[in-house]
Amino acid sequence: MKDTMSQPAGIQPELDDIDRKIIGFLREDGRATNQELARRLKISAATVSARIRRLEQAKAMKVVAVTDFAALGYNFLLAVGIQVQGRRAGDVARDLAKLKHVFAAHLVTGARDIEVLLALHDYEELHALLLDEIAKIKGIRTIECGIAVDVVKFNFDVAPIS
Amino acid sequence: MSKPQLDDLDRRIIGLLTRDARVSNRQLAHELGVTEGTVRGRIKRLEADNLIRFSAVSNVAYSGAPQVVLIGIHAQLDQVQSLCQRISAMQEIRCVIAMMGRYDILCVGLFGSLTQIVEVANNRILSMPGVRHVETSIAVETVKYDHRVAKITDRRG
Repeated sequence: MKDTMSQPAGIQPELDDIDRKIIGFLREDGRATNQELARRLKISAATVSARIRRLEQAKAMKVVAVTDFAALGYNFLLAVGIQVQGRRAGDVARDLAKLKHVFAAHLVTGARDIEVLLALHDYEELHALLLDEIAKIKGIRTIECGIAVDVVKFNFDVAPIS
Repeated sequence: MSKPQLDDLDRRIIGLLTRDARVSNRQLAHELGVTEGTVRGRIKRLEADNLIRFSAVSNVAYSGAPQVVLIGIHAQLDQVQSLCQRISAMQEIRCVIAMMGRYDILCVGLFGSLTQIVEVANNRILSMPGVRHVETSIAVETVKYDHRVAKITDRRG
Protein backbone atom coordinates (compact mmCIF):
# COMPACT_ATOMS: atom_id res chain seq x y z
CA MET A 1 0.00 0.00 0.00
CA LYS A 2 1.46 3.31 -1.06
CA ASP A 3 0.14 6.84 -1.06
CA THR A 4 -3.40 5.90 -0.09
CA MET A 5 -4.64 9.47 0.06
CA SER A 6 -3.77 10.06 -3.56
CA GLN A 7 -4.98 6.65 -4.73
CA PRO A 8 -7.23 7.12 -7.77
CA ALA A 9 -10.75 5.86 -7.16
CA GLY A 10 -10.64 3.91 -10.42
CA ILE A 11 -8.10 1.42 -9.05
CA GLN A 12 -10.73 -0.20 -6.85
CA PRO A 13 -12.14 -3.47 -8.13
CA GLU A 14 -15.86 -3.35 -8.76
CA LEU A 15 -17.57 -5.21 -5.92
CA ASP A 16 -21.17 -6.25 -6.43
CA ASP A 17 -23.75 -7.23 -3.86
CA ILE A 18 -22.73 -10.91 -3.86
CA ASP A 19 -19.05 -9.99 -3.30
CA ARG A 20 -20.01 -7.82 -0.35
CA LYS A 21 -22.21 -10.57 1.12
CA ILE A 22 -19.41 -13.14 0.74
CA ILE A 23 -16.98 -10.78 2.51
CA GLY A 24 -19.59 -10.18 5.25
CA PHE A 25 -20.10 -13.91 5.90
CA LEU A 26 -16.35 -14.61 5.82
CA ARG A 27 -15.79 -11.76 8.28
CA GLU A 28 -18.07 -13.61 10.72
CA ASP A 29 -16.50 -16.99 10.02
CA GLY A 30 -13.50 -17.20 7.70
CA ARG A 31 -13.75 -20.99 7.67
CA ALA A 32 -17.35 -21.23 6.52
CA THR A 33 -17.19 -23.78 3.67
CA ASN A 34 -18.01 -22.85 0.08
CA GLN A 35 -21.06 -25.14 0.36
CA GLU A 36 -22.35 -23.24 3.41
CA LEU A 37 -21.85 -19.88 1.71
CA ALA A 38 -23.48 -21.19 -1.48
CA ARG A 39 -26.54 -22.33 0.48
CA ARG A 40 -26.93 -18.97 2.24
CA LEU A 41 -26.46 -16.96 -0.97
CA LYS A 42 -28.49 -19.35 -3.17
CA ILE A 43 -25.68 -19.66 -5.71
CA SER A 44 -23.41 -22.59 -6.61
CA ALA A 45 -20.34 -23.55 -4.56
CA ALA A 46 -18.25 -23.20 -7.72
CA THR A 47 -19.37 -19.56 -8.03
CA VAL A 48 -18.49 -18.91 -4.38
CA SER A 49 -15.06 -20.45 -4.89
CA ALA A 50 -14.42 -18.38 -8.05
CA ARG A 51 -15.59 -15.16 -6.34
CA ILE A 52 -13.31 -15.70 -3.33
CA ARG A 53 -10.37 -16.42 -5.62
CA ARG A 54 -11.08 -13.27 -7.64
CA LEU A 55 -11.40 -11.07 -4.53
CA GLU A 56 -8.11 -12.42 -3.17
CA GLN A 57 -6.32 -12.00 -6.52
CA ALA A 58 -7.53 -8.39 -6.78
CA LYS A 59 -6.23 -7.88 -3.21
CA ALA A 60 -9.68 -6.58 -2.26
CA MET A 61 -9.75 -8.98 0.68
CA LYS A 62 -7.91 -11.87 2.19
CA VAL A 63 -9.17 -14.62 4.47
CA VAL A 64 -6.66 -14.97 7.27
CA ALA A 65 -6.08 -16.99 10.41
CA VAL A 66 -5.20 -14.41 13.02
CA THR A 67 -3.32 -15.66 16.06
CA ASP A 68 -3.31 -13.78 19.35
CA PHE A 69 0.09 -12.35 20.36
CA ALA A 70 -0.18 -14.17 23.69
CA ALA A 71 -0.86 -17.52 21.96
CA LEU A 72 2.60 -17.18 20.42
CA GLY A 73 4.08 -16.18 23.76
CA TYR A 74 4.43 -12.47 22.90
CA ASN A 75 3.65 -10.89 26.26
CA PHE A 76 5.02 -7.38 25.67
CA LEU A 77 3.89 -4.97 22.98
CA LEU A 78 5.81 -1.75 22.41
CA ALA A 79 4.84 1.20 20.21
CA VAL A 80 8.09 2.81 19.15
CA GLY A 81 8.51 6.18 17.41
CA ILE A 82 11.75 6.80 15.54
CA GLN A 83 13.40 9.93 14.21
CA VAL A 84 15.82 9.53 11.33
CA GLN A 85 18.91 11.57 10.52
CA GLY A 86 21.22 11.48 7.49
CA ARG A 87 19.44 8.67 5.67
CA ARG A 88 16.18 8.10 3.81
CA ALA A 89 13.47 7.17 6.34
CA GLY A 90 12.15 4.50 3.94
CA ASP A 91 15.50 2.73 3.95
CA VAL A 92 15.68 2.81 7.76
CA ALA A 93 12.09 1.48 7.94
CA ARG A 94 12.92 -1.36 5.54
CA ASP A 95 15.92 -2.35 7.70
CA LEU A 96 13.69 -2.31 10.79
CA ALA A 97 11.04 -4.37 8.96
CA LYS A 98 13.58 -7.19 8.58
CA LEU A 99 13.71 -7.72 12.35
CA LYS A 100 11.48 -10.56 13.48
CA HIS A 101 10.17 -8.69 16.50
CA VAL A 102 8.83 -5.92 14.26
CA PHE A 103 5.18 -6.67 13.38
CA ALA A 104 4.34 -3.33 11.77
CA ALA A 105 6.37 -0.43 10.40
CA HIS A 106 4.88 2.73 8.92
CA LEU A 107 6.41 5.87 7.41
CA VAL A 108 4.55 8.73 9.03
CA THR A 109 4.17 12.50 8.97
CA GLY A 110 4.83 14.58 12.08
CA ALA A 111 7.48 14.76 14.76
CA ARG A 112 8.68 11.18 14.14
CA ASP A 113 9.50 9.58 10.83
CA ILE A 114 8.78 5.90 11.49
CA GLU A 115 6.28 4.17 13.78
CA VAL A 116 6.99 0.56 14.70
CA LEU A 117 5.05 -2.09 16.61
CA LEU A 118 7.36 -4.47 18.49
CA ALA A 119 6.33 -7.70 20.21
CA LEU A 120 8.56 -9.44 22.73
CA HIS A 121 8.31 -12.73 24.58
CA ASP A 122 9.97 -11.27 27.64
CA TYR A 123 11.83 -8.24 28.87
CA GLU A 124 15.24 -9.92 28.40
CA GLU A 125 14.79 -9.98 24.61
CA LEU A 126 15.12 -6.19 24.56
CA HIS A 127 18.83 -6.43 25.28
CA ALA A 128 19.77 -8.16 22.03
CA LEU A 129 17.05 -6.41 20.02
CA LEU A 130 18.11 -2.91 20.98
CA LEU A 131 21.86 -3.21 21.50
CA ASP A 132 22.71 -5.78 18.83
CA GLU A 133 20.06 -5.44 16.11
CA ILE A 134 18.55 -1.93 16.17
CA ALA A 135 21.91 -0.39 17.11
CA LYS A 136 23.39 -1.70 13.83
CA ILE A 137 20.84 0.15 11.69
CA LYS A 138 22.30 3.40 10.38
CA GLY A 139 20.34 6.64 10.47
CA ILE A 140 18.37 6.32 13.71
CA ARG A 141 18.52 9.59 15.61
CA THR A 142 16.07 9.03 18.49
CA ILE A 143 13.90 6.18 19.78
CA GLU A 144 10.82 6.80 21.92
CA CYS A 145 9.02 3.92 23.52
CA GLY A 146 5.49 3.30 24.76
CA ILE A 147 4.69 0.09 26.63
CA ALA A 148 1.22 -1.33 25.95
CA VAL A 149 -0.55 -1.69 29.28
CA ASP A 150 -4.05 -2.62 28.08
CA VAL A 151 -5.23 -3.31 24.53
CA VAL A 152 -8.81 -2.08 24.75
CA LYS A 153 -9.71 -2.35 21.06
CA PHE A 154 -7.89 -4.05 18.20
CA ASN A 155 -9.96 -4.37 15.06
CA PHE A 156 -8.26 -6.01 12.11
CA ASP A 157 -11.22 -6.32 9.67
CA VAL A 158 -9.67 -3.63 7.46
CA ALA A 159 -5.92 -3.64 6.99
CA PRO A 160 -3.18 -3.01 4.47
CA ILE A 161 -2.93 -5.89 1.98
CA SER A 162 0.14 -5.96 -0.24
CA MET B 1 -1.83 -11.60 29.64
CA SER B 2 -1.55 -15.27 30.64
CA LYS B 3 -3.27 -17.65 28.27
CA PRO B 4 -3.65 -21.42 28.23
CA GLN B 5 -0.56 -23.26 27.04
CA LEU B 6 -0.55 -24.63 23.51
CA ASP B 7 0.77 -28.10 22.78
CA ASP B 8 2.67 -29.21 19.73
CA LEU B 9 -0.47 -30.23 17.80
CA ASP B 10 -2.10 -26.81 18.45
CA ARG B 11 1.01 -25.09 17.12
CA ARG B 12 1.12 -27.29 14.01
CA ILE B 13 -2.58 -26.64 13.34
CA ILE B 14 -2.01 -22.87 13.73
CA GLY B 15 1.00 -23.07 11.42
CA LEU B 16 -0.98 -24.75 8.63
CA LEU B 17 -3.98 -22.42 9.05
CA THR B 18 -1.72 -19.37 8.94
CA ARG B 19 -0.56 -20.55 5.52
CA ASP B 20 -4.12 -21.14 4.30
CA ALA B 21 -7.03 -20.17 6.56
CA ARG B 22 -9.60 -22.02 4.44
CA VAL B 23 -7.92 -25.43 4.17
CA SER B 24 -10.48 -28.14 5.06
CA ASN B 25 -10.45 -30.05 8.35
CA ARG B 26 -10.06 -33.22 6.31
CA GLN B 27 -6.92 -31.90 4.63
CA LEU B 28 -5.49 -30.75 7.99
CA ALA B 29 -6.25 -34.14 9.55
CA HIS B 30 -4.52 -35.87 6.65
CA GLU B 31 -1.39 -33.67 6.90
CA LEU B 32 -1.16 -34.01 10.67
CA GLY B 33 -2.02 -37.72 10.88
CA VAL B 34 -4.92 -37.23 13.30
CA THR B 35 -8.70 -37.58 12.92
CA GLU B 36 -10.96 -34.88 11.51
CA GLY B 37 -12.80 -34.83 14.85
CA THR B 38 -9.56 -34.00 16.68
CA VAL B 39 -8.83 -31.12 14.27
CA ARG B 40 -12.38 -29.79 14.61
CA GLY B 41 -12.21 -29.97 18.42
CA ARG B 42 -8.82 -28.26 18.59
CA ILE B 43 -9.86 -25.39 16.30
CA LYS B 44 -13.09 -24.93 18.26
CA ARG B 45 -11.14 -24.68 21.52
CA LEU B 46 -8.54 -22.26 20.09
CA GLU B 47 -11.35 -20.01 18.86
CA ALA B 48 -13.29 -20.23 22.13
CA ASP B 49 -10.15 -19.23 24.06
CA ASN B 50 -9.63 -16.21 21.74
CA LEU B 51 -6.28 -17.58 20.60
CA ILE B 52 -7.14 -17.71 16.92
CA ARG B 53 -9.75 -16.17 14.69
CA PHE B 54 -10.64 -16.68 11.04
CA SER B 55 -11.80 -13.60 9.27
CA ALA B 56 -11.98 -11.82 5.95
CA VAL B 57 -9.74 -8.76 6.02
CA SER B 58 -10.63 -6.03 3.50
CA ASN B 59 -7.92 -3.96 1.91
CA VAL B 60 -7.69 -0.55 3.56
CA ALA B 61 -6.62 0.99 0.22
CA TYR B 62 -9.97 0.02 -1.31
CA SER B 63 -12.09 1.15 1.62
CA GLY B 64 -13.91 4.47 1.84
CA ALA B 65 -11.51 5.48 4.62
CA PRO B 66 -8.06 4.58 3.31
CA GLN B 67 -5.95 6.83 5.51
CA VAL B 68 -4.29 5.15 8.49
CA VAL B 69 -3.65 7.70 11.25
CA LEU B 70 -1.96 7.28 14.61
CA ILE B 71 -3.37 9.43 17.39
CA GLY B 72 -1.25 9.77 20.52
CA ILE B 73 -3.06 11.13 23.55
CA HIS B 74 -1.68 12.63 26.74
CA ALA B 75 -4.31 12.38 29.44
CA GLN B 76 -4.90 12.55 33.14
CA LEU B 77 -3.98 9.10 34.45
CA ASP B 78 -7.16 8.64 36.48
CA GLN B 79 -9.19 9.26 33.33
CA VAL B 80 -7.30 6.87 31.03
CA GLN B 81 -9.56 3.83 31.49
CA SER B 82 -12.83 5.71 30.91
CA LEU B 83 -11.29 7.59 27.97
CA CYS B 84 -10.22 4.28 26.39
CA GLN B 85 -13.82 3.05 26.62
CA ARG B 86 -15.26 6.24 25.11
CA ILE B 87 -12.72 6.36 22.29
CA SER B 88 -13.20 2.65 21.52
CA ALA B 89 -16.86 3.38 20.81
CA MET B 90 -15.87 5.72 17.95
CA GLN B 91 -16.41 3.99 14.64
CA GLU B 92 -13.33 5.54 12.90
CA ILE B 93 -11.00 4.30 15.63
CA ARG B 94 -9.86 0.72 15.01
CA CYS B 95 -7.35 0.27 17.80
CA VAL B 96 -7.02 1.69 21.32
CA ILE B 97 -4.12 0.89 23.62
CA ALA B 98 -3.52 2.27 27.11
CA MET B 99 0.22 2.86 27.40
CA MET B 100 3.03 3.85 29.65
CA GLY B 101 5.69 6.10 28.16
CA ARG B 102 5.43 8.41 25.17
CA TYR B 103 1.62 8.59 25.31
CA ASP B 104 -1.05 7.59 27.79
CA ILE B 105 -3.30 6.28 25.03
CA LEU B 106 -2.38 5.32 21.47
CA CYS B 107 -5.17 4.99 18.89
CA VAL B 108 -5.13 3.97 15.26
CA GLY B 109 -7.94 5.28 13.08
CA LEU B 110 -9.04 4.97 9.45
CA PHE B 111 -10.13 8.15 7.73
CA GLY B 112 -11.41 9.38 4.39
CA SER B 113 -10.19 12.97 4.56
CA LEU B 114 -7.99 15.42 6.48
CA THR B 115 -11.15 17.21 7.68
CA GLN B 116 -12.37 13.98 9.23
CA ILE B 117 -9.00 13.45 11.00
CA VAL B 118 -9.22 16.92 12.57
CA GLU B 119 -12.88 16.40 13.52
CA VAL B 120 -12.12 13.15 15.39
CA ALA B 121 -8.72 14.00 16.92
CA ASN B 122 -8.74 17.76 17.48
CA ASN B 123 -12.45 18.27 18.08
CA ARG B 124 -14.05 15.15 19.52
CA ILE B 125 -11.14 13.52 21.38
CA LEU B 126 -9.42 16.73 22.49
CA SER B 127 -12.63 18.03 24.07
CA MET B 128 -13.12 14.94 26.24
CA PRO B 129 -12.55 15.58 29.96
CA GLY B 130 -9.08 14.49 31.08
CA VAL B 131 -7.43 14.84 27.63
CA ARG B 132 -4.48 17.25 27.80
CA HIS B 133 -2.90 16.95 24.37
CA VAL B 134 -3.43 15.08 21.11
CA GLU B 135 -0.80 14.36 18.42
CA THR B 136 -1.75 13.00 15.01
CA SER B 137 0.60 11.29 12.64
CA ILE B 138 -0.49 10.12 9.19
CA ALA B 139 0.85 6.79 7.95
CA VAL B 140 1.93 7.47 4.40
CA GLU B 141 3.50 4.11 3.59
CA THR B 142 3.11 0.73 5.25
CA VAL B 143 6.54 -0.90 5.07
CA LYS B 144 5.49 -3.94 7.09
CA TYR B 145 2.19 -5.21 8.44
CA ASP B 146 1.73 -8.77 9.65
CA HIS B 147 -1.96 -9.71 9.59
CA ARG B 148 -1.27 -13.16 10.96
CA VAL B 149 -0.82 -11.84 14.48
CA ALA B 150 -3.04 -9.46 16.46
CA LYS B 151 -4.59 -8.90 19.83
CA ILE B 152 -7.90 -10.77 19.91
CA THR B 153 -10.04 -8.82 22.34
CA ASP B 154 -13.56 -10.26 21.90
CA ARG B 155 -15.69 -12.10 19.38
CA ARG B 156 -15.53 -9.24 16.88
CA GLY B 157 -11.90 -8.32 17.43
